Amino acid sequence: MKFSLDWLGDHVTLPDAGAPDSVRRLLDRAGLPVESVEEAHGVVVFDVEITPNRPDAMNHRGLAREIAAMSGAAFPNASGKSVGELPSEGPPAHELSSVEIQVPGLCRRFGARVVRGVRSAGSSERVRGRLASIGAKTIDAVVDATNYALWDIGQPLHAFDLDRLRGGRIVVRRAKKGEKLTTLDGVERELEPGDVVVADAARAVSLAGIMGGLETAVTGKTTNVLLEAAWWDPVAIRRTSRRLGMHTDASHRFERGADPESIPEALDLAASLLLAAAGGILAPGRIDARGRPFARRRAVLRLTRLRLLSGDDRLDLDFAAEALSRLGFSIAKRGGKRRTVEIPSFRGDVSIEEDLVEEVLRVWGYDRLPSRLPLTAGAGGHFEPLRLVEEKLADEAVAAGFHETFSYPFVDRQADESSFSAWLEATGTAKAPLSVANPVDASRRDLRATLLPGLLDAVSRNFRHGAHGVALFEVGRAFGGDGDVSRPETFESRRFAFAIGGDARPHWSAPVASRAADFFDVKGLVERLLEPWADPRRLVWKPFAADAFATGAAARCEVGDGRLLAVAGIVGEDERERRRLPERVCVAEILVEAIPRERRPARYVGYSAFPPIVADLSFAHPRDLAWEKLEALARKLDLRDLESFALLDRYEGPGVGEGEVKTTIRLTFRSAERTLEQAEVSRERDRLAAALGDELAVRF
Amino acid sequence: MAGSGPVSSPDPIAQLLVSFREESARGVSSRAEFEALKGRYLGREKGLVPALFLGVRELPPEERAGYGARANAAKREIEEGIARLGETLARAESERRERTAAVDVTLPGRRTRAGSLHPVTLVRRRIEEIFLRMGYSIADGPEIESDFHNFEALNFPPEHPARDAQDTLFLDRKAESPLLLRTHTSPVQIREMRKRGAPLKIIAPGRVYRNESVDATHQPVFHQVEALVVDKEISMADLKGTVEAFFGALFGAGTRVRIIPTFFPFVEPGADVQMGCLFCNGAGCRTCKGSGWMEIAGAGEVHPAVLRACGIDPEEWSGFAFGLGLDRVAMMLYEFPDLRLLFEGDERFLSQLAPLS
Ligand SMILES: [Zn+2]
Repeated sequence: MKFSLDWLGDHVTLPDAGAPDSVRRLLDRAGLPVESVEEAHGVVVFDVEITPNRPDAMNHRGLAREIAAMSGAAFPNASGKSVGELPSEGPPAHELSSVEIQVPGLCRRFGARVVRGVRSAGSSERVRGRLASIGAKTIDAVVDATNYALWDIGQPLHAFDLDRLRGGRIVVRRAKKGEKLTTLDGVERELEPGDVVVADAARAVSLAGIMGGLETAVTGKTTNVLLEAAWWDPVAIRRTSRRLGMHTDASHRFERGADPESIPEALDLAASLLLAAAGGILAPGRIDARGRPFARRRAVLRLTRLRLLSGDDRLDLDFAAEALSRLGFSIAKRGGKRRTVEIPSFRGDVSIEEDLVEEVLRVWGYDRLPSRLPLTAGAGGHFEPLRLVEEKLADEAVAAGFHETFSYPFVDRQADESSFSAWLEATGTAKAPLSVANPVDASRRDLRATLLPGLLDAVSRNFRHGAHGVALFEVGRAFGGDGDVSRPETFESRRFAFAIGGDARPHWSAPVASRAADFFDVKGLVERLLEPWADPRRLVWKPFAADAFATGAAARCEVGDGRLLAVAGIVGEDERERRRLPERVCVAEILVEAIPRERRPARYVGYSAFPPIVADLSFAHPRDLAWEKLEALARKLDLRDLESFALLDRYEGPGVGEGEVKTTIRLTFRSAERTLEQAEVSRERDRLAAALGDELAVRF
Repeated sequence: MAGSGPVSSPDPIAQLLVSFREESARGVSSRAEFEALKGRYLGREKGLVPALFLGVRELPPEERAGYGARANAAKREIEEGIARLGETLARAESERRERTAAVDVTLPGRRTRAGSLHPVTLVRRRIEEIFLRMGYSIADGPEIESDFHNFEALNFPPEHPARDAQDTLFLDRKAESPLLLRTHTSPVQIREMRKRGAPLKIIAPGRVYRNESVDATHQPVFHQVEALVVDKEISMADLKGTVEAFFGALFGAGTRVRIIPTFFPFVEPGADVQMGCLFCNGAGCRTCKGSGWMEIAGAGEVHPAVLRACGIDPEEWSGFAFGLGLDRVAMMLYEFPDLRLLFEGDERFLSQLAPLS
């Protein structure tokens, strides 16, 4: 909000003869930081950031009060007094018009003055210059007079052409259903009973507190003017202005709370400017209609509280009283260690003791407060164990060479996730997505139900930028539509997803063909990531199909009791085409909440002092004989002293039949008690070989 | 020639030594040659050295001792000589083997792929570590929140203009307390105070959402960390000391920090935490709008209405809270120019900061 230093000088003597830096420092300390300082035509203009609780500072007099409070200067200064008694004659205002308030809670004060016989004119050089300096439009004597009063003392005003008000009178009421009003901007508005209007005997003539109506506005032909200054209920104004998308200087102030006490002086100020610029005769007296009365507001300030909240024992009640009085508060009652403070009408933001403490500290200066550290004991640590799980997963993925990335969670379910619908189904998020009612981008209003599409898009972008190998992971939340609205957390699920594409092992020493990422890169990482909680040998991998995955090249991973833990797979060709992925990409997503809560214990297990004996077996079999079956058979035979059963090699190609593979397994035998003999090891190996031949029809 | 030995033949020991010395001086060029030489001299059956000892019995008894001693000395010399030849050969062989396996030491090494944490995660962890050392616990809350936790309990009245600044994204679900994407991490304060009561000393890092269009300095998705201490007599002085200690630890000793008054509905008194501008060192520049200070966190004493909404008696307890944006801190620490980089997933950005942090 813009303020002219020159204008501020009307109300307060500025420090250091108005040196901008000095004024700026004071305002910063007051909590009214200056965003920019501009100088044009010899006038210095500040752009001040004013928080929504301080409508009282949204005008020059209000800001000057703050400056005075901080600097200790007198307020108001000699030039800042009110306009005083204005000359008036003829019939009094209440004979020329009348005001009836039908909604006393929403309009608690409505003031009006009448000026007769004005002529069409512009406002004075000074008024126009002042308004122009702060970027306000100048229009004519009437509108400029009301605007000047707004920027000078903060009360929004409206001017009616009195002769166009039917019956010459004003009724403040709720709008009727379907009632229409064309506002000053030329737009016809359809009103609702929630809206408050200023009406004449027949119709709505102004959208209260927001914008006047076109038909009753002042024009070049206007001779008799009725000036309105009122107090409107903030919530009612806000509802209407939001519904109609109308944000005006007036609504900005009424929404935040205007000062009902400034109504008479605002009317006088506007009237005096109008008379000076456009002539005319002021009708004696003001109309001052009242709605629900304003209560006197008080709060108590205790010395103990002041010192406790500030942490500064140098503060006392004398200083507090002085600071508060500079800000326009007064002491209503003095107790031994407390003061009852009367809150001025323009400080609607202040109502409790803590507010008073802040006011005192603003004047004292936050920079003068002492510093110390709280003595609160705390051991530190994580309240939420899943965060530690996520941290461990991330560390392992980093160790495995993956880069952490973030994706936007806003998607279009149909476009982005339908190829993953089988996965959404498996994770219970397939039904209607959770969507944003007022999205940033209307084409992405759904919240993601899986991290995989976002990850694939990131991989794709890297390929487009010329990367040959990409390895990314993301830790984040996925959102399902089936939550319990009374427990918002039920709409979320924690996910850990990663993707690897192109060159997975990009070193010149490896054959090019062996460097491309494949299913076993992602399966292996899932196993490694889950190892602290789930023994990789206890994980069950089952074929899984989703449109996004290559046929027969994806799996769901379950933990012992059938609980779904993860999905892993090679991205299918359609998906690759759609997301522009030139290289093979493999992905996995882990359901973090499904990971067993208990970590596997870290405990010493003894090992044999005797040497191992190794025996290899090579055999051919159809490609679709699952490895899992071979493992199961070996387990069933319970070979004596078998330490490990491992896949050494798999070969397809010349020398092996069509649709067949050649598998080499390595058996490692070792006893805890003695050195084994070759003969006993061979006997066990042969036992396995025989069973493989008999039961699984492999050929040696 | 004069001599004391048998006159019929020259001394066989001396002869053998002469021929061995000649041969060993020539050396051997292969394992086969070495084995042949070794066999010829030391072979058990036909070796020249064992043969020397066969003649001993034919000598007169008085010469036997002398001959035997000389033969033994010759045997030792030849054995040692052959062992030396063997060592030399082995050395030559291993050198040959190694030469064939020699590497071009200037070829690129095989580095394990280095992964990296996201810059915002790096900052988050650094901040968590600072607070953990100060004895804070780390709390967490949902990103989908109710209006109650995000606004009402934080003393944002319904229809209050303070809500405008939050640019809330609402969700399409009917609920008694409307559902939204949390606009700040402050609702975690509410959840933790309601769950654990006082005293309490926590931070809550997390992701937050606002209805903002994407540009260099705005994101609809960003990250905050919130600190909250509730205890007896927690004052603005505690807040001031804590932000000074924290920002000193984060940005380095000597970091200038100040607090100035401001308004947030959930604190009273409220404060803005500002840090001496990193770009101009306080002289005033575009980034700090000429003030020499940069706004870095919102703070204040927990509003009594907030404590009461959480079942904590404000006459007995008080507290401070402050919150800051992680994305902006990352931007300041690592000096990258555009917040959009954080969500593009470009490895060239993601990978360059972690090894140096
Ligand atoms: Zn600067």
